[in-house]
Amino acid sequence: MKETQLKILQYVSGIGLFFFVGAHLLVSHLSSGEPTTWESVSGRAASSGWLAFYILLLIFGIYHGLHGLRTIILEFSIPNTAVKVLNWAFVIVGMAIFGYAAYIPINAF
Amino acid sequence: MQELNFKVQRYLPGKEKKPYMQEFTVPFRQGMTVLDGLIYIKENIDNTLSFRSSCRMGICGSCGMLINNFPMLACHTPVEELETDRVEVRSLPNFPIIRDLVASLDPLFDKHRSVKPYVISLDMKEAEEPAAEFLQARDELESYVQFAYCVKCGLCMAACPTVATDALFLGPQPLGQAYRYCTDRRDTGAKERFREADSPHGVWLCHLAGACSEACPKGVDPALAIQLLKRAMVFNSLRLRKKRAPASVAQPIAESKPKIDVPEFTVK
Repeated sequence: MKETQLKILQYVSGIGLFFFVGAHLLVSHLSSGEPTTWESVSGRAASSGWLAFYILLLIFGIYHGLHGLRTIILEFSIPNTAVKVLNWAFVIVGMAIFGYAAYIPINAF
Repeated sequence: MQELNFKVQRYLPGKEKKPYMQEFTVPFRQGMTVLDGLIYIKENIDNTLSFRSSCRMGICGSCGMLINNFPMLACHTPVEELETDRVEVRSLPNFPIIRDLVASLDPLFDKHRSVKPYVISLDMKEAEEPAAEFLQARDELESYVQFAYCVKCGLCMAACPTVATDALFLGPQPLGQAYRYCTDRRDTGAKERFREADSPHGVWLCHLAGACSEACPKGVDPALAIQLLKRAMVFNSLRLRKKRAPASVAQPIAESKPKIDVPEFTVK
């Protein structure tokens, strides 16, 4: 993918994170004022809507974080030939994090 | 202020291990510039001091230096404006040093060349053997004219914090010029420049520090050009960029009669 397309996805994931993290904080931690209960967590885990919500939150979070880290690393004058290796390394790390983190809500569903 | 204390960077690569500072006392003269001070040192104190200069009027961009920790043109900087009698002069940062205050601008010119800083025309016959001028409206000229004032002095590149950390980053001057030609209606080479600016060390590494625009002695705003280039590239990527007709060639001037009759010669 070209850098401009990657950057557009970075903006989209940033906006997505603003709403998804906001919704997550509101529902899980701020709405009741009470400590999180087992019933509320298991109730959300059984919902297909919440499963989709958390998978999307995970995708946006992983992409936004790894792309930001890649941008920082690129500033260390990484030559263009090494950038391809770096890109594949980030794809593999991203997939591994997604696979591990998505297993929990999918397993609980 | 009777005398000025000039602290000048000296360095001869290959002979000396690292740059060092040498102090000179220069008599103050009303209206003198930093370049005048350096010329005084070279003519009267130490003729081995090396620096680059040419026009002495802020046009050629040769005498870019780091003056009191800010990149400036030495010929365009009156000593009185520095508001101190201590003048510290170093070679431009982010560029290799050739000798003393002479920086090698090769990295700038290489990057500048890479963005194809010239009008690319689809009509090669018209480009090589022009029949007439291309027509251009006033607003079309105004969309890029400020970026065309660039004199390639390298001050923006020296001021840029991203160039300082990433030597491969294209930098404000080439990116500004890329936008300047992309927005020119006579040009049809925008996609070639977008490809160059879309590299991992291209336009998206700019953090919008704005130091380039502050340093430019010609009032060019490279930071604005970079933001406009980013917008054009996003629109192009989403296929939302407006297609525009290339500039048309002016019609040859029709045969016309003079408004006032030219009198006949009275002397034969």
